[in-house]
Amino acid sequence: MTDLVVAPLLVALFTAVATLPLRSARRVQQAVSVAGGVVYLVAVAALVRAVKADGDGYLVYELSNWDAPFGITLVADDLSVLMLGLTAVVSLAALVFSVRGIPAVGQRLSYHPLYHLMVVGVTGSFLTGDIFNLFVWFEVMLMSSYVLVVFYSGPDETRAALHYAFLNLLGSAVMLLSIGGLYATTGTLNMADMAEYLAAAPASQTTPVLGLSAMLFAVFALKAGIVPFQFWVPDAYRAAPAPVAAMLAGVVKKVGIYAIVRLYFTVFAVATLPPGPFGDNATFLAFFGPVFLLMAIGSIVVGGLGAVGREDLDGLLAYSSIGQVGFIVLPLAVAASAVPAAGTAIPGDGIVTLGITAALVYSVNHGLAKSLLFFVSGALSRTLGTVRFDALGGVSERNPALAGSFFIGALALIGIPPLSGFFGKFLVFDVGARAGSWVVLGVALLGAILTIAYFTLAWARGFWGPPSDAVAGAHVDRSFVLVAAVLAVAIVVLGVGFGPLYDLSYEAARSATETQGYVDAVLGGSQ
Amino acid sequence: MSALAAALALQQSEPNTQFVLAVVLGLLFAIGTFLVLRRDVVRVVWGITIISQATNMYLVTMGGLAGSVPILGHGEAADPATVANPLVQALVLTAIVIGFGTTAFALVLTYRVYEEHGTIDLAELGENPPETGVSANTGSTMDGPEADPEAVTTADGGSQSGTDSSAGTAGVGDD
Repeated sequence: MTDLVVAPLLVALFTAVATLPLRSARRVQQAVSVAGGVVYLVAVAALVRAVKADGDGYLVYELSNWDAPFGITLVADDLSVLMLGLTAVVSLAALVFSVRGIPAVGQRLSYHPLYHLMVVGVTGSFLTGDIFNLFVWFEVMLMSSYVLVVFYSGPDETRAALHYAFLNLLGSAVMLLSIGGLYATTGTLNMADMAEYLAAAPASQTTPVLGLSAMLFAVFALKAGIVPFQFWVPDAYRAAPAPVAAMLAGVVKKVGIYAIVRLYFTVFAVATLPPGPFGDNATFLAFFGPVFLLMAIGSIVVGGLGAVGREDLDGLLAYSSIGQVGFIVLPLAVAASAVPAAGTAIPGDGIVTLGITAALVYSVNHGLAKSLLFFVSGALSRTLGTVRFDALGGVSERNPALAGSFFIGALALIGIPPLSGFFGKFLVFDVGARAGSWVVLGVALLGAILTIAYFTLAWARGFWGPPSDAVAGAHVDRSFVLVAAVLAVAIVVLGVGFGPLYDLSYEAARSATETQGYVDAVLGGSQ
Repeated sequence: MSALAAALALQQSEPNTQFVLAVVLGLLFAIGTFLVLRRDVVRVVWGITIISQATNMYLVTMGGLAGSVPILGHGEAADPATVANPLVQALVLTAIVIGFGTTAFALVLTYRVYEEHGTIDLAELGENPPETGVSANTGSTMDGPEADPEAVTTADGGSQSGTDSSAGTAGVGDD
């Protein structure tokens, strides 16, 4: 049963290796690659079933049978499998898009192995229960994403990749520094073991961990593209091939969000702050709450204002994803500020759980909608050779299915019922109202208005009106329209039947805040 | 955890080693930061390499400085209080391998940036709308007062093979 935990990891790794020697047989390579995506989806579905069927909801796999605090553990719980589910869906859609969306020469060179290695890195990051192992999976993911960003290796791409790679190389060094410090302070790398140590240790011993965890947070914020670590985002997303941009915005960003939720709400949440401005017996999250809030506000404002002024569709989408990540961090900030004093259990129906639920619902919605929008942008760019607004226009007349998909994706991010985005936005507002925070409500409102503004601009300039000369003569490949339409239908279905997604996110939020359950499952119950 | 406590206790007895290492680490980070802030991309790569090597060294010190070789003998385990912490060494080995790969990639990327832009000056990369091919080959890295041997070598290599590479790029993009 617990062997299922490694299944997605092995499937993606095997596909990456299998597509490597098939370079000369293009059709076979594509078939193997897409089949790998399908098997990955099946493996993740099986893992979700297994976790749901499991009594306590934790499946722990110990690599090489080394016992938990000493060996590397992989942990699948409700939070991990929710993110894996999102990964599986977006990744399969991006693979199908890639078959026609990436030039044949590029596919033959290295595209498919690199793509699957990136999926390996993402999967490992979601599953690992060991902080150093998290670093290794980050590197696996980043290394392939560097090459995928520079894939077309023109002037713009090389410059974007230069910034992306160098910033992340520095980020990796900082991450390693924090991990080394955490090991020296707590004496362990296992997340569950570290949580147990932090819960028991007095504030005087955990103080260094506060600084180290803040340093680590900067690295995760860099991965998630939260202000003030967002500089690489617009260039990198514009440079990357469309399906890769969809993966970067839809999934790789969420790895940063997942790491923040997992480490700060499960592990560091139990540590006590030294007495100070946050009062006695406050947890680390009392310190991180205001930090999250400031960064969320910055992201929403910078992303929103940046997107309004763009002259091209993919630049607009890239800035938009900075703003949307702000909407994910905003409820996390409220949740962090609402965490009760150290030693008290987090209630299941309180603001904390609700805030994380809102963040996760929004993550899933953003993952699907933003990748859909990048697919539409990629389809246009592959067909027309440009996505500048002055060359676009009238796509809705020339290709209603593609334009309709874009419309649904944009509405989902704006938050129109009954799409899944409505509930995401609604929950964010709900959390802000329950916390009684006018700042949160005001920022969310501003962000919502900016979202409406830039998508209205995009729609009016790119899709509405009479077809431009370029659009009128264009023929968009059917597979692009199919991928976009399937995702659009998925967004509508998730919105109309919102219950299951809410339940999954709620259980994920519960499992993120139940430190004791996590510790027991990893250290106690697995033998 | 007790092994770590013991190692830390041993470490207290060697204040000199600790002091020297702290100074060296500080210097390395300072040099690395200085280089990262330069305009020349090759120096930035050097800076990142130095910072990641300094990080590795820092990691080694995190396991405690004193103690004998942590070998598991036949039949009996060594007293945890007298051996160095082996875990950080495993971590550093992993980090070195990863750093090796990323440094190689960063250098290749730098070369590629030179081929595409004709310069490896970060300020010029940001300003100019890039021109294709080798037409912009008179980048300021050649005539700048602080051009170092690495930069010149890269520049020479770039001018020789620039034509081939731009043809290759066109192939990838057009298909």
